[in-house]
Amino acid sequence: MTKREKTIISLSCAFALIFGVVPVSHGMHIMEGYLPLVHCLVWGAISVPFVVVGIIKIRKLTEENRRTMVLIAMAGAFVFVLSSLKIPSVTGSCSHMTGTGLGAVLFGPAATSVLGIIVLLFQAILLAHGGLTTLGANTFSMAIGGPFLTWIIWKGLKGTGINKPLAIFLATALGDLFTYCITSFQLAFAYPSETGGVMASVAKFLGIFAATQVPLAIIEGILSALVYMALMNYAKPEMRAIGLVAEK
Amino acid sequence: MLTIDKLCYYSKLRYVNPAEKALYTMVTIIMLIASRSVIMAAAILVLNYYLNVYKGGLNGKRYRVLLTWPLSFLIFGTIALFVNISGTKLDLYAIPIGSFYLTGSKIGMWQGVQLIMTAMAAVSSLYFLSLNTTMPDIISVLRKCKLPKIFVELMMLIYRFIFILMNVAANITVSQKSRLGYRNYKTSIKSFAAMLSALFINSMRRSNNLFDAMEARGYDGELRMIEEHYEQNRRTMWLIGCLGVVLLAVTVWIKVESVIYI
Repeated sequence: MTKREKTIISLSCAFALIFGVVPVSHGMHIMEGYLPLVHCLVWGAISVPFVVVGIIKIRKLTEENRRTMVLIAMAGAFVFVLSSLKIPSVTGSCSHMTGTGLGAVLFGPAATSVLGIIVLLFQAILLAHGGLTTLGANTFSMAIGGPFLTWIIWKGLKGTGINKPLAIFLATALGDLFTYCITSFQLAFAYPSETGGVMASVAKFLGIFAATQVPLAIIEGILSALVYMALMNYAKPEMRAIGLVAEK
Repeated sequence: MLTIDKLCYYSKLRYVNPAEKALYTMVTIIMLIASRSVIMAAAILVLNYYLNVYKGGLNGKRYRVLLTWPLSFLIFGTIALFVNISGTKLDLYAIPIGSFYLTGSKIGMWQGVQLIMTAMAAVSSLYFLSLNTTMPDIISVLRKCKLPKIFVELMMLIYRFIFILMNVAANITVSQKSRLGYRNYKTSIKSFAAMLSALFINSMRRSNNLFDAMEARGYDGELRMIEEHYEQNRRTMWLIGCLGVVLLAVTVWIKVESVIYI
């Protein structure tokens, strides 16, 4: 082995150690206190209309049928539990699903935006993922942007006669990746690079978080597709009930 | 199952007015991110350690472990701030890679340090709220902030349902494990997905039963809860007020004088 090869190997080992042994890799919740004040307010303001529309929609649904209220709350709890469980992972690090992608497929994007902000609030307080001041930014990426894309892809692919689980896989995995892109942009806007400005910073954040987020998106896609298959086999009546919640 | 939720019920500060605790948390976090001062961050870290461990009666080691939870995000996020890839050298260090440099500047490094310190201090403030206040109390504060009723009710219901579902999930996982369901990676993924779908079906059926139970007890579209009554403690409010004024003064001074290294 030449000296050069040795250095390359030791460098790659160091890389693997740094990125493989990080104890917890959550989704991409921006942590408490990480964004500047103005950014917190702006992202919060951007998220408000979506959440308001969601609340109005939920209110209308519950007025029509009061049973929906409990159903929606259960859905929210489901999304929270989904995101708090450890995904089986190869490296032994513990990672979590976003959960909002599956939520968007099952309950529609409007309800998901409201459930998403509640779930994010609970995650911040009970699990210390995310935070109170970064709630607006996290809501936009995880409860609005990602789920919307997931839902659009799912709606688009559903009509084309493509295999349904594959459609779910694509929709949730791409939605997850979209969430991660939005978060990278949010971080880059807050902390533009000194040499290349915002875009260089976007590239840096995308590159660094890719190590954890890309595998995570694929696993989340696979899991969502499997869950969908199981639900189609065992829970037709329940799926019909949600169909009402999502579409009416 | 949820460590923080369990701990907050043991806290000695549990019966302090939740609005005061929330106010303290928001004041400190907002001042921290407005000022980005390392010294203020250190002071608030110490203050929160005192409040959580000595006043709240939390085990010190446990608190320190909790503080390491958000570290992975902090490490990843801040690497991006310390490292620049560029054709020109910056003043702190520059490692040439081909025609480019892996480089960083002194001011960038310092801003990274400020960010790490203030973010950690902000997390410790958030912990002060979540480790000493029960969720129903926090929800009651949100209700007083005039959030839409339906939103608050959803929060309450979801909080209740979380534990039901976590219990179901834990039971299913135990029985799957006893049948070697998590033997290798492939079976783990399969079992995990099976557990999630069983959980989903279970939750939908339960929501039906729950609604029937609620309606049988006179649910008419509104949840009426008895809230715990808390005394407003004038001394605490004074202390929080003074702290807020001091922090605000420091922040304004930093901004007006544009002090960098603080």
